[in-house]
Amino acid sequence: MLPLSIKDDEYKPAKFTLVLKLSGWIRSILADKTSRNLFFFLCLNLSFAFVELSYGIWSNSLGLISDSFHMFFDCTALLAGLAASVISRWRSNDSFSYGYVRAEVLGGFVNGLFLIFTAFFIFSEGVERALEPPDVHHERLLPVSVAGLLVNLVGIFVFQHGGHGHSHGEQGHGHSHSLFNGTAREAAGHGHRGGHHGHEGHAHHGGHHGHSHHGHSHHDLDDERHLGSGKQILQGVLLHIMADTLGSVGVIISALLMQNYNLMIADPICSMLIAILIGVSVVPLLRESIGILMQRTPPSLDRTLPECYQRVQQLQGVYNVQQPHFWTLCTDVYVGTLKVVVAPDADARWILSQTHNIFTQVGVRQLYVQIDTAAM
Amino acid sequence: MDEKYSNNVLSGGHLGMVEVPNSRLTRYIVLLVISKILKALGIFESYDILKVVHIVQFIFILKLGSGVILLVFQKPFSSGKVISKRQWIKLLKHSVFSCIISLLGFFGLTLCGPLRTLLLFEHSDVVVIAFLGVLFTSSGGGPSKTRGAAVFIIAVICLLLFDNDDLMAKMAEHPEGHHDSALTHFLYTAIAFLGVADHKGGVVLLVVSLCLKVGFHTVSRKLSVELGGAKRLFALDNLVSAVVLLPWVIVLSATTESKVESWSALLLPFAMIIFSVVILEFYVEAICNAKMEVQRCARYGAIALFSSGLLLANFWTHPLTDQLRSMSKSPQESSTEHVLSGGVLVSAVFFMMSSSILSSPSKKGQKGTLVGYSPEGTPLYNFMGDALHHTSQSLPRFIKDSLKQILEEYDSRQIFYFLCLNLAFTFVELFYGVWTNSLGLISDGFHMLFDCSALVLGLFAALMTRWKATRIFSYGYGRVEILSGFINGLFLMVIAFFVFVESVTRLVDPPNINTDMLTPVSVGGLLVNLVGICAFSHAHSHGGKSCSGHDHGHSHHGHSHGDHSHGSHGHSHGGHGHGGHGHGGHGHSHSSGGGGMNANMRGVFLHILADTLGSIGVIISTILIRQFGWLIADPICSLFIATLIFLSVIPLLKDACEVLLLRIPPEHEKELNNALQKLEKIEGVLSYRDPHFWRHSANMIAGTIHLQIMSDVVEQRIIQQVTTILKDAGVNNLSVQVEKDAYFQHMSGLSTGFQDVLAMTQQIEYMKHLNDGTCIM
Repeated sequence: MLPLSIKDDEYKPAKFTLVLKLSGWIRSILADKTSRNLFFFLCLNLSFAFVELSYGIWSNSLGLISDSFHMFFDCTALLAGLAASVISRWRSNDSFSYGYVRAEVLGGFVNGLFLIFTAFFIFSEGVERALEPPDVHHERLLPVSVAGLLVNLVGIFVFQHGGHGHSHGEQGHGHSHSLFNGTAREAAGHGHRGGHHGHEGHAHHGGHHGHSHHGHSHHDLDDERHLGSGKQILQGVLLHIMADTLGSVGVIISALLMQNYNLMIADPICSMLIAILIGVSVVPLLRESIGILMQRTPPSLDRTLPECYQRVQQLQGVYNVQQPHFWTLCTDVYVGTLKVVVAPDADARWILSQTHNIFTQVGVRQLYVQIDTAAM
Repeated sequence: MDEKYSNNVLSGGHLGMVEVPNSRLTRYIVLLVISKILKALGIFESYDILKVVHIVQFIFILKLGSGVILLVFQKPFSSGKVISKRQWIKLLKHSVFSCIISLLGFFGLTLCGPLRTLLLFEHSDVVVIAFLGVLFTSSGGGPSKTRGAAVFIIAVICLLLFDNDDLMAKMAEHPEGHHDSALTHFLYTAIAFLGVADHKGGVVLLVVSLCLKVGFHTVSRKLSVELGGAKRLFALDNLVSAVVLLPWVIVLSATTESKVESWSALLLPFAMIIFSVVILEFYVEAICNAKMEVQRCARYGAIALFSSGLLLANFWTHPLTDQLRSMSKSPQESSTEHVLSGGVLVSAVFFMMSSSILSSPSKKGQKGTLVGYSPEGTPLYNFMGDALHHTSQSLPRFIKDSLKQILEEYDSRQIFYFLCLNLAFTFVELFYGVWTNSLGLISDGFHMLFDCSALVLGLFAALMTRWKATRIFSYGYGRVEILSGFINGLFLMVIAFFVFVESVTRLVDPPNINTDMLTPVSVGGLLVNLVGICAFSHAHSHGGKSCSGHDHGHSHHGHSHGDHSHGSHGHSHGGHGHGGHGHGGHGHSHSSGGGGMNANMRGVFLHILADTLGSIGVIISTILIRQFGWLIADPICSLFIATLIFLSVIPLLKDACEVLLLRIPPEHEKELNNALQKLEKIEGVLSYRDPHFWRHSANMIAGTIHLQIMSDVVEQRIIQQVTTILKDAGVNNLSVQVEKDAYFQHMSGLSTGFQDVLAMTQQIEYMKHLNDGTCIM
């Protein structure tokens, strides 16, 4: 997915062997808490998938094999998140002058897209099943889905714990929300065979809340990149895991329903509902990341920027402000460029530093101000 | 510029007509809604009564009753001016007309049933006038009104054509015995002469009488002023109409035999109808029109009336309500009720929409108006911003414009034509599948539809790329193209993954495939996709030609492959190679930015390629299975195809990722490095800092740089030189920040920590107030 092949020049002297490279990667993975969590969870997931696959091949059960492939697909999402979180910490070089921080946004975007695809597939499958309810063999479903649920529960635990320790800034909000998620999940146990996604809308919302909160009030982050790297990736990954967990819960419940009450129609309806829920819950993440990738003016600056322009225009000697471009590099790092047309006799240096002051106050970290003298 | 920013400040504020707060109007609205519901009830009741009572008698009783009641309330004779002889004559004419209109209306009621009458006849004057204004005047009130009128017409057409009321047909065979009067007979023959079915004739009749009614109301306004108020006119009119109808009723009762068993049982329903349909509605409308704007009144009234009509139509024939009304109705009559068909439902929804659109106040005169003053005292203008502009666009014009835009450029035109082709093929497949009831064809059709979504995405992106930059998206929408390519690529990857998984499971357990239906469909799909590949590879070569000599060779290469495409296998290979080549050419030889195949087109192309490969795989595996019975051929083919798709997508994804990660454009890297070296040699430049260059979209490379210069050089000259040098290197959106050394020290101190910056800026802010201008430098 992500350009793993683009190597950082600094990391790649000619004598590096594969082993060294691998160990370097692993070291860099283990260095950060987010990526460490991701890595461990990925390993857990992968081993589970392999166990399932080998058991499926051994017992020649198609359902298990396809389920294990589904797990592999989920792993790609995790892998994307992991890759993004590692890549985003690479230092900037000549080619990537801003560094790789945007990988985090891209990782979140990819995860969101994957979720959308999955939702779409589940939906179409649900429609198909609603038209023609198949016979579901529920004998072996139960143990597998219980095991999957356990794995995913571990994942949720790790990530909430990790996210918790990781970003102390959004503690209160995040915590209450995560509690809420727990209850919501318990309450919303609807069934679906394919093992998919449910009420993580809440989870997502919680994260979002924390995020906006964060955007406004915290300025005392000594290492913003670390915290930033968590944001979008964690959001996407957590969404994914929540979805899987709910899917497992759904499968268990639907299996029970089918065993005890023979309610076959509940399965496709639930899966369609779940698909719609996933789609809806992913939309904010996607919208946010598309906005960042398209160099949108940061939404949190939408209101303050016009004031800033006015303040710049009111500086002595400033005629006009032209071509303002403000965009988000990664979470909470805003970049802006601006052209200021000034009077020929204006004090350019003073205007420059004043402009910098004005925009630094609203949170724009990197500002490029080109001062043009108006033609006489 | 100035206005632009002040507009921004306001963008969050609420603009528009000053509206009276809703809370004060709530009771009027509630009153209006209740009266409308009662009116709907009354109309349903009167439909039942009209089955037994002759229409002229019915109207006579209605007019007489309401006239008497109004006589008590309004006292038209004792109050107000004395009415002259000429006014009496006018009044007589007026009441004759009103009689005719109510005759037509109630006759339509007997023909169409109460719900359709409600939908057609009970529109507010405002709505109808707006509708007619759109139809017959040039300045109809803007696109939204036109839309409303179109919706209205659609609703009427829905009632006319899609309302399969089979009870109607039954009734047309045995008309219910009202033929005995000359008038009804005349109307029946007129409708039969038009050659439409009975209830359709009723629809036409109702529409005509609706127009007549509105015209009549408009004309009678003058008379009401003359007579001293609409209420007085209404009372007098009712009385005079009763008098006018009296001889006819006498003649009727003398000549024909009444079907009514007992008039006393009908007393209560008549009283209810008179109260709800005539009197209450009249008064409540008058009050609400006085308190609210007419438009709002009309909107709420119409929605209440129609929805209550729908509800009543649903429950009127319900056994429960039959029980409730058992005394006034004989049981066998319930079979002649008009059923609630889908057409009626749709048209009711459309009528509601149209009445709310047509009665919405026209938002004119808001362009460029002064809306207030900013806190600083500068005047703020509300120019039609892009958001407002979008809402006021007319739908047909929007379609026309976007079609024009699509056809304007080569890329989007290609995608559009191919999309049309694909859609046509899909629909043919779907229809054929539904017709022959073959699940395989239907699911394949849906698969094609799904593929079309990628095309739609590409088309949309190609359109969106050309949108102008807005305040929010200050660099323009050029990146949509890259994003769309990226999404398409990811999409393909997911598809490849799933195909892979499925083929692995099939490898373990090869299923029995029914190969009968597969071949013609997949050959058709293959043909369509081949056309697409030809078109798109042509597009590529076309784009390449405009660029440079190097590309020319490449385009020829692609072309020859495109021509090569007769043997299916050979073609697939060629297509693949072509894709790779195109990429290589792009990466190496483009000197001027833009051109070539952009990410969007590449994504679409790869998608089509993948489809083609899929069709080829299906054909080959079908042949193999048929000839040799190798069931294993199918999964192996799909494995192969999945891998191929996967591999061909990777370059696209890699490029898109690089762009999205703000890499320095690889094809400009060398020139940019040279340019940066040149920069340092400019006289007066000490050094540069933070050079950032990135490709924003296909034809835009943005860049920012900090320059440290000596304190005694002219900044403007340096900026000019730097801009020229970097423009030569391909950067066409540049901003240069020139810093003199003192500033550099200051700012490097500032940028140590964010918190420090904040504290410092606050301090500076404070100092600025103390001694402005001298504090920093």
